[in-house]
Amino acid sequence: MKRSRASIIGGSAAIAATFVVFVIPFLFIILMAFKDRQQSALRDFSWPTGFHLWDNVFEVVRTRNWMMITAFVNSSIITVASVTLLIVFAAMVGFVLARRKTRFNGLIEFLILAGLMIPPAVVPTIWLLQGLKLFGTLHGMILIQVAYNLPFSIILYRAFIATIPRELDEAAVIDGARPFDVFFRVVLPLLWPVTVTNIVVQSVGIFNDFTNPLYYLPGNQNATVQLTLYNFQSQFSTAYNLLFTNILLITIPPLIVFMFFNRQIVAGMTAGAVKG
Amino acid sequence: MTAVAAPALPKRRSLYPGWFYAPAAAVYSVLFLAPTLASLYFSLTRWTLFDATFIGFDNFAQFFREPFLVQGLVNTVIYAVVTSGLKVVVGMLLALMLTSEIIARGYLRSVIFFPVLVSTVGVGITFTVLMHPTQGMINQTLAFLGMAGPGWLVDPRLALFSVALVDVWKGVGLATVIYIAGLVAIPRDYYEAARIDGATKLQNFFYVTLPLSRPATATVITLSFIGGLRTFDLIWAMTKGGPGFASDTIASVIYKQYQAGFYGLSTAGNVVLFILIAVLVVPLTMFLNRKQGHE
Amino acid sequence: MAGLELKNIQKSYGSVEVIKGVSLSIDDGEFVVFVGPSGCGKSTLLRMIAGLEDITGGELFIGNKLCNAVEPRDRSIAMVFQSYALYPHMTVYDNVGFGLKLARTPKDVRDQKIRNAAKILKMEHLLDRKPGQLSGGQRQRVAIGRAIVRQPEVFLFDEPLSNLDAALRVDMRMEISKLHQTLSATMIYVTHDQVEAMTLADKIVVLDGGVVQQVGSPIDLYQRPTNLFVAGFIGSPKMNFVEVVVEAVNEDNIMVGSKDVARLGVPATVAGVKVGDTLTLGIRPHDLSPATNGAVVGRVSLVERLGNETIVNIELASGIPWLAVLDGDQALRVGESIALAADPAKAILFDRTGQALLAPIA
Repeated sequence: MKRSRASIIGGSAAIAATFVVFVIPFLFIILMAFKDRQQSALRDFSWPTGFHLWDNVFEVVRTRNWMMITAFVNSSIITVASVTLLIVFAAMVGFVLARRKTRFNGLIEFLILAGLMIPPAVVPTIWLLQGLKLFGTLHGMILIQVAYNLPFSIILYRAFIATIPRELDEAAVIDGARPFDVFFRVVLPLLWPVTVTNIVVQSVGIFNDFTNPLYYLPGNQNATVQLTLYNFQSQFSTAYNLLFTNILLITIPPLIVFMFFNRQIVAGMTAGAVKG
Repeated sequence: MTAVAAPALPKRRSLYPGWFYAPAAAVYSVLFLAPTLASLYFSLTRWTLFDATFIGFDNFAQFFREPFLVQGLVNTVIYAVVTSGLKVVVGMLLALMLTSEIIARGYLRSVIFFPVLVSTVGVGITFTVLMHPTQGMINQTLAFLGMAGPGWLVDPRLALFSVALVDVWKGVGLATVIYIAGLVAIPRDYYEAARIDGATKLQNFFYVTLPLSRPATATVITLSFIGGLRTFDLIWAMTKGGPGFASDTIASVIYKQYQAGFYGLSTAGNVVLFILIAVLVVPLTMFLNRKQGHE
Repeated sequence: MAGLELKNIQKSYGSVEVIKGVSLSIDDGEFVVFVGPSGCGKSTLLRMIAGLEDITGGELFIGNKLCNAVEPRDRSIAMVFQSYALYPHMTVYDNVGFGLKLARTPKDVRDQKIRNAAKILKMEHLLDRKPGQLSGGQRQRVAIGRAIVRQPEVFLFDEPLSNLDAALRVDMRMEISKLHQTLSATMIYVTHDQVEAMTLADKIVVLDGGVVQQVGSPIDLYQRPTNLFVAGFIGSPKMNFVEVVVEAVNEDNIMVGSKDVARLGVPATVAGVKVGDTLTLGIRPHDLSPATNGAVVGRVSLVERLGNETIVNIELASGIPWLAVLDGDQALRVGESIALAADPAKAILFDRTGQALLAPIA
C-alpha cells in the first residue's frame, strides 16, 4: 500500500512536534552531562565545549563516599528481591483466585481494588515497622514494596490464569501431582509470558520509586538511586553537570529494559490497567 | 487450615489450596491493611510515636480551618482533574494519530511512551531547570521568539498547573497505549457500516470511535485520577509545595507534617486523602462502568 | 486387575442434583461406554470415578477398594481428556513421562516405559516435539500414551475423539479398540456419539437426566430398548415414532392401528393393555421397505439417493415426519405417495409412561 501525501506531511509534522516536546528534554540531559561545571551553569541548549562525561561520571560515583555505588547496590537488592517475592506470591494468589470460587472471592477482590486505590498510611506504617524492627532496613523496604505492588501483579496473573484450561490441572492430578506440583511444575511455567511482563513493569516501578524509600529507608548507608539526585542540589550552588550526569545514569536501567521489553511493558501496563 | 473434627467421609484436599493465599495475605495485612486501620485511630490523636493522646476530631478540624491545609485539599482536586482531563484528551488524540496511516509509527510511539519509564524525580528536576523563569531553556526560547515567558514555577497562580503539565508530559504515554489498545479492539465492521451509511470522518469519531472506546476512557480517567490525587514525588521534586503553599497537595502536606513531627496531623491527612479518593473515585468508576454496561 | 462397583452414587451442587443414584458393576477388562445427550451427567460420573469431583453420596469401589476419599493418584486410573490437556511447555517425552517423574520412577525405568508406550502408539519420531507442533491426531496419541505409561488398571476416556475430524475419528476409534484388546484393561469411555458407543463397547450405559436409562450390550440396546429414550437415542438414523390405538389384544401380540398405520400385529407383553388404549409405535428406518400394500402410507417430502441406499423423508397422514432407509437406488419423486411395509417383529410398542412392552425372549 502506498502512503498518501497527507500521511507523510502529517507524519513529518508529528515527528517534529514530538521531537521538540519529548526528545529535546532528553537531549538536554545528555548535553548537560557532557559539559563542565561552568558551562552547565548556563543551563542552555548548547554544544559542550569539551568532553567531560567521564570526569562527571567519576565525580558523581565518587561523591559522598561512593554513595552512588551503595545506592545502585541497594536499589538492585530491593528490586530483585521484591520482584521475586511478588512473582511467587501474586501467582499463587492469582491461581487460587481464578480457579476456586468461594464466598470469600468477593472480599479478596475488594481488598485487591482497595490496595490499588488507597494511599498507604505513612506514619502508622513507620510506627509498625519500628515495632517489627524493620524500619530503615532493606528487608523492611522489600516487604513494603511487595505489599504495595501485590494487587497489580495479582490482577495481571489472575487474568492470564483464567485463559489456561482447567483440564491441564486435572491431567496433572491424574498423573499423580499434588497441589504443590500442579502449581510449580505445570501452571507456573505456563505463566512465563505474564511473569516477564510482571518482572519488567514492577522492576521499573520499584527501581524508580522515590516516595517509599524516602519515608521508610532513611540514612545514607541505605540510599537508593532516586535519593542520590539530592546530592548535587543545594540552595547555594548546584553542580548542574553532575546533577544531570546523575539523572542520565539512573535513566540507563529503564532505557535498557525499554529497549529489550518494550512490547511486554506496553502489554502489561495496558492489560493490568484495563482489568483494574 | 486447622484440624477440624473429621466428618463421616474424609474430605479430599482441594486442588487449589487455601494456604496459597497465606504469604501474600500475611505481607499485605501486616504492612498495608493494619497501618490503614491503625490510621483511623491515630488520626484522632496527638501522637509522638511513643504515646498518643486522644483529641477527637481536632486534627480534622484543623485540616479544614488552616488556610494552607485547605489549599492543599483544593489543589489536590484541581491537580487530579487537570491531569486526568488532559491525559484523556491528549492521549486520545495521540492514539488516533498512531493508529492512522502515519509514517514512523514505531518511533512516535516509543518517544511518547518512554517518559513513563523514567524516574519521576529525574523528570521533575530536569523540568525545574527547563522552567526557570530567566535561565530556563523554555523561557529563553520564548524570549528568542520575542515573547515574555511566564514564571512557570515561581508564580503562585501558575506553579500547580506547571507541575500538572509535566505530569501530563510524563504520563500521557500510558494513556496513549491504553487508548491504542482500545482503538484497535474496535471491529472494522463498524467503520465499514458507518461508511455505507454515509458517515463523515467527524461523525465516525463521535458515533463509532468515542462510544466504543469508552472502556479505555474509563481506565485512563480512573487511573490518572487516582494517580493525580496521590501525587507526591513530582511536586516534591519541582516545587516542594511552593511558592508558599501554592502547589501543596495533601500528599505533600502529609510529608511536611511528618517531617515537622506532627504525626497525628500527618495521619489525619492520610485519612482525608483516603476519604477523598473513596468519595470521588468510587462514584466516578461506578458512573463510568454503568454507562458501559448499557451497550 | 480391577473391576468397578458403583453403589447408589449421587452428586449434587448445592440443591441441584446432577447424578441421582447410579448403581453399576463393571467387570475387569470390560469396555464400558457412558452415552447420553449433553448434560446427562456422563462426564460428571466419569470425573467422580477419576476423583476430580467429590462424591456427594453412595460408594465407589475400584477393585474392591472403597475409593470415595482416595486421591486420584492412588486410584490406579488414567484419564484421556477431550482437549487432550497436554502440558504445552513439555516435550512429548516429558508429557508422557510426567506421571512417572512425579512417582519418582528411576530414570532408566522411566525411559524404557516411555519408549515402550511410544512404540505401541507408533509415535517414537514425535518424542522430542512440543504439543504445539503436533496435529490433532498426534496429540491424541500422546494423550493416550500418557495414560498407557502409568499402567493403570482402569482407563478413563472423556469424549476423546470429539475434537478430531471425521476420517481421523474412525481411525482413532479402531486404534482404541485395538489398544483395549492389547492391554485388556478396564476402560470407561464417555461419548455423546452413539456410533462410537455401538462400535467400541462391550457394555453401554445410557444416561439421561442423571439416571441410568439402560445398561446392556450394543446389540441388545438396539434391538430391545427398554424405553422411548433409549429407543430414540440408540440407532442412526433415529427410530420413527407414532401414536397408535390398540385394536385387539392377542395372546402374544397387540394389534394396533391409526390414521397413519394400517393394522399391525406387534409382538409384545400384553399384560395390562386394553383395546382402545393409546400406545406409541416405534419402527426403525431400516425396517421399512417399499410394498404396494404396505401398512405405512405417506407422501415423499425429500429423497437422498446415496447409491447403495436411499433415504426417504415421508410425511404421514397426520403430518408426522418419518424416515425410511431403503435398499438400493430408488427413483422416487418428491410429492408422490408411497406405501411401506414394516416388519412387525422388529417394531416396538411403548406404553403411556414410555416403557417398552417388549415381548419376552423366546
